[in-house]
Amino acid sequence: MYTLYIDSHFNNLVIALLKDGKIKEEKIIESGKHSEIIINLIKEVLEDNKLEVADLKEIIVINGPGSFTGVRIGVVIAKIMGYTKNILLKPISFLQAASLDYDKNITLGIEDRNGVFIGSFNQEHELVGDYKYLNNKEKDSYKEKIVIVENKIKIEKVWEFLKDKPPINPHELTPLYVKKIEVQNG
Amino acid sequence: MDVYILAIESSCDETSMAIVKNGKEIIGLSIATQIDTHALYGGVVPEIASRMHTEAITLVLEDVLKKAKMKIEDMQAIAVTYAPGLTGSLMVGIEAAKTLALIYHKPLIAVNHLIGHIFANNIEDKMEYPMISLIVSGGHTELLIMEDDYTFKKLGETLDDAIGECYDKVARVVGLKYPGGPNVEKLAKEGKHTYNLPQPVLDDTYNFSYSGLKSAIINLVHNETQRGREINKADLARSFQDVAIDELVRKVDKAFRETNIKRLVVAGGVSANNYLKEEMQKLCDKYGAKLLIPRLLYCTDNAAMIGAAAYPLYLKGEFADFSLNASSNGDLC
Repeated sequence: MYTLYIDSHFNNLVIALLKDGKIKEEKIIESGKHSEIIINLIKEVLEDNKLEVADLKEIIVINGPGSFTGVRIGVVIAKIMGYTKNILLKPISFLQAASLDYDKNITLGIEDRNGVFIGSFNQEHELVGDYKYLNNKEKDSYKEKIVIVENKIKIEKVWEFLKDKPPINPHELTPLYVKKIEVQNG
Repeated sequence: MDVYILAIESSCDETSMAIVKNGKEIIGLSIATQIDTHALYGGVVPEIASRMHTEAITLVLEDVLKKAKMKIEDMQAIAVTYAPGLTGSLMVGIEAAKTLALIYHKPLIAVNHLIGHIFANNIEDKMEYPMISLIVSGGHTELLIMEDDYTFKKLGETLDDAIGECYDKVARVVGLKYPGGPNVEKLAKEGKHTYNLPQPVLDDTYNFSYSGLKSAIINLVHNETQRGREINKADLARSFQDVAIDELVRKVDKAFRETNIKRLVVAGGVSANNYLKEEMQKLCDKYGAKLLIPRLLYCTDNAAMIGAAAYPLYLKGEFADFSLNASSNGDLC
């Protein structure tokens, strides 16, 4: 059973292929435009393993938060593959995927230029409350300790975590933006 | 063999897909418009547009396949608008198109949105060359000679604002809702040409200029308001439209005179303007020329025209690769 893992939410672009939950191939690209690289990268991974898109059983996609455009790229690809080939779609936020590294209640964050996206998770790695975006000022005065995610996501752990979770309908898969658009504020 | 192309358009505020046969016949067309959402903000908000394209993309695909009663396997190629437009919006269509091309091993065709507007005329009529081509939209005002399907020679273009942009600005200053163009046209019908507005470029080139006209209207409204005088909106809309369209008429007239070409195609969002259509028809009658303007449905953004424009590229084997990216700039030549 093959799983494709797509993470285009931020600077690093990660595409991985898992077979029965074990990584067969993983590609990480640290520079360049995701939009120009990602399809070729997926194509390479599939060809290396003599697979077609239709051979995939499921797709794990990091659906945010992060760069709006980056997240959209991964999500659109997953939606189209899921819809056309009935591939099971399992989105997970980058912060929840990172929380699998911790077996305690924890608040994790990822920073961008103007602030930090945060999410709090319990010992079972389930989200407590909502995701939030704090600007740099709000961040400094935030009541809880925020652990900034620096480790690489453990893709096999993510697969294990999502194994028994239900997939999402391709029409309903949307990016997790967290941040509002300026015109919608207030 | 018949050629079926699945075409995708997401350059601005419509998510659209079409299945087009041999560049002419629309087998299925689906358009999801965001116009009501952007109207709340008085214009297109790029990030909202990108988000709505993402939400609509598989729904529009499902709809077009259902309407056409066809499968993606039946297609010979996947075509997509890559420029010009809002890059974040274009990208949604492009990634979808590339993914489909990857899944089904189909060639990918990158289409320029403006060329799409021109090729909208091939859907219900047949374009013949050489042809004078006037592109009028929110981002473009260009006069070209088309010598063949993809051979363009530029005569002139706007030196500053596009005519559609100018329409939207006038709509804003007189307090009309988005989309401004059609609303200005509607109001102009009720008005008289009473305001004295400056003629744009009076030189002998084929270039256009709309920033002077735009500023004149902003100043006029500002000054009248300061003096406590009320603007007659309908008269202002009419005065503006007369001057703006007259500028196009003069340059197209010059092109007819100097090139002796007997065909004119008008393309782009502003080609939906009825006053423009009437004036261009008069001009074509004067020179015994044939006028091509697509019907309203194909004047606005849609994927059918992208499928029509992709067809000659398919025949020539001009395909894009998976590194295709969005571009806000879509110069034709």
